[in-house]
Amino acid sequence: MISNENMRLWGWILALIMALAGCGGGGAGSSGGQPASTSTSSTTGQNVMPIIVDAGPAGVNAMNIPYTSVTICTPGASTCQTIDHIIVDTGSTGLRIIASVLSSSLSLKQQMSGTENLYECLQFADGYAWGSVKVADVQLGGEPIIHSLAVQIIGDPSAAAVPRGCSITGISEDSVATFGGNGIIGVGTFQQDCGSTCATTPAATGAYYTCSSLSGSSCTAVAVPLAQQIQNPVGMLSSDNNGVAITMPSVAATGSVAVSGSLIMGIGTQSNNALGSATVYEVDPTLGTLTTTFNGRSYAGSFLDSGSNALYFVDTSITQCTGSNSGFYCPTSTVQLTAANQGTNGTSGMIGFSVANADTLFGNTSYTASSGLAGTSITGGAPNFDWGFPFFFGRTVFTSIEGTSSGGVSGPYFAY
Amino acid sequence: MIYPKCMVAILLIFLVLSDSAQATLGSDETSIANDQVKMKATRRIVSLSQYTTHEIQMSSGTLVREYVSAQGQVFAVAWKGPLLPDLQQILGSHFAEYGVAANSKRTRRGPVLVQKPGLVIQSGGHMRAFFGRAYIPQMLPADVTVDDIQ
Repeated sequence: MISNENMRLWGWILALIMALAGCGGGGAGSSGGQPASTSTSSTTGQNVMPIIVDAGPAGVNAMNIPYTSVTICTPGASTCQTIDHIIVDTGSTGLRIIASVLSSSLSLKQQMSGTENLYECLQFADGYAWGSVKVADVQLGGEPIIHSLAVQIIGDPSAAAVPRGCSITGISEDSVATFGGNGIIGVGTFQQDCGSTCATTPAATGAYYTCSSLSGSSCTAVAVPLAQQIQNPVGMLSSDNNGVAITMPSVAATGSVAVSGSLIMGIGTQSNNALGSATVYEVDPTLGTLTTTFNGRSYAGSFLDSGSNALYFVDTSITQCTGSNSGFYCPTSTVQLTAANQGTNGTSGMIGFSVANADTLFGNTSYTASSGLAGTSITGGAPNFDWGFPFFFGRTVFTSIEGTSSGGVSGPYFAY
Repeated sequence: MIYPKCMVAILLIFLVLSDSAQATLGSDETSIANDQVKMKATRRIVSLSQYTTHEIQMSSGTLVREYVSAQGQVFAVAWKGPLLPDLQQILGSHFAEYGVAANSKRTRRGPVLVQKPGLVIQSGGHMRAFFGRAYIPQMLPADVTVDDIQ
C-alpha cells in the first residue's frame, strides 16, 4: 500500500470500500482468513472508520478484539501506508504501531526531549510495550490529515533496549502476536496517555524515558509536558474531535463468526453521531471510572473498555474454566445476569448481560465474537467491573474526551 | 482511611538506604528497605495489632503496601496508583510465576490472576488506575482476612 503518489486519497477510498464491504483487509500484515461477516452495522461518512471483529493478524487467534485501519504518512510527504488490524481501545489513549508492520518506505521523525530521543514504556495491566516516540502524519477515515502526531513505535529495532524501570512492571508485548494486533488506537476519555503524572516528577517505573545510547541502562525516566505526550488522535482532529461512538450489531452470547461495525468520530457533530436517547454516565475525571453495582456489591473503579476482550468481574457462583481457559467462566448453560452502572453525575441504569461457556466458545475455531465471554477478576482490595468488548455488541457506546463538550454535557463521560 | 483494624501507632517516617537485594513477598522484613530504594520512594510504617504495614509512596503517586507479620515475614503486598510499581522487586521470586500467568492466556487487556495453593496474585486496571495485590495464604496471621489486603 505504498506509493509516492497521492496515497491519502487512496487510503480514503479504501476505507470507504471497506465500510461498504464490511471486511477489514489490505495494508500491512495479513488478515485473519475468517469467513465473511454475517452481521454488520454499517455507517458511512468521512468521520467513520470501519470496525471488523475477526481472528486478527496471523498468530493472534483473536476473540472479541475490534480492529480498524489507520493511514500513516511520512510527515509533510505523500508517502503513506494504510495499516489494518489496529485495535480500537476506549481503555487507553494514543496511536501505537508495531514496528514490524511498518513499511521501510516511511520515514517517521524521532520525537526529541531536549537533545535525546524520547521513548515510552506503555503499561497495561497484563504487560508493557516499549518503543520510540515518533512523529507521523495520520489520517483517520476520511477526516483531514492530522499533521505531526506523536505515535509510539512498539518494538522498534532502532530503539534503545528496554530499561529496567520498564521490564520490572510485567511481561513484554512488543510483537504482533503478543500485542494482539498490528497496533492500537486509544480513543479513551483522556486527551493524553499519561497526563499530569508524567508531566511532573519522573517515577522509578516511568512511562517516558530518554536514553543516551542504545543500552537500556542509559535510559532515564523523564517528565514530559502534556503537549508533548502521546495524544488521543481523535482529539487532534480539526473537527469531530470531542469523542467517539462505537456502533456494533447484536451478537449471540454463544458465539459468532466475524462481525463488523463502526468507529464514528465526534459526538453530536454530524448526523451520524448524535447522542439521541443515550444516557450519559460521567466518569471520575482522574481515573476515568464509574460505579457498577453487582450482586449487592459496589465496584467504584469500573470502566467501559473496548480493548478488553471479555467482561471481567467476580461472581463466585459461576463455574470457572480449567486448563488453558482458566480465568474465564464455564457455566454448563448460558447464565443471564444484571448489574447497574452509575455515573458521577448520579445517572444510573440497569444492564442485562450473559455469561456463556468459554470452553465451548474457544472450541469453535471459526468464532471470533461473543457477547457472553466473561472471566473472573480481582476478588478484593480495589475490585472493579471491566465492561469489555462484549458490552459493546448491540449498542452504540459514546466515549467523551476530557476537556470537551458534546450534547450539552462536559466530558469525560461514557454514554449508551 | 482504609485500615480495617485499629491503628495503634505511626512509628516512623524515614528514608532507608541499603544495598539492593531481591525481595520481598515471602521474605523477611528487612527486604522492604530494598524495595524502597529500588522505587526511589518514601516509606511509612504503621503498626496494627496483628501485623505491620510498610507504605511505600512512589513519586508517581503509586502506593505500595507491604504486610509484615509479628514474626517479621512479608505475607502480602498490595499496590494502587497511576503507574505500575516495581513488580519484580515486590513479588521477588514470584515475579516469574506472574509472567507465566500473563503469558499463558487468551484474555486481552484483562486482569492477570495467579491462584495457587501457596500463592495468590491479582493485578488489574488500566493506565492511570492500576491496582493489585499478592499474598501467601499460609502466611496470613490468624484473624487477618484476605479482605484486609488492599
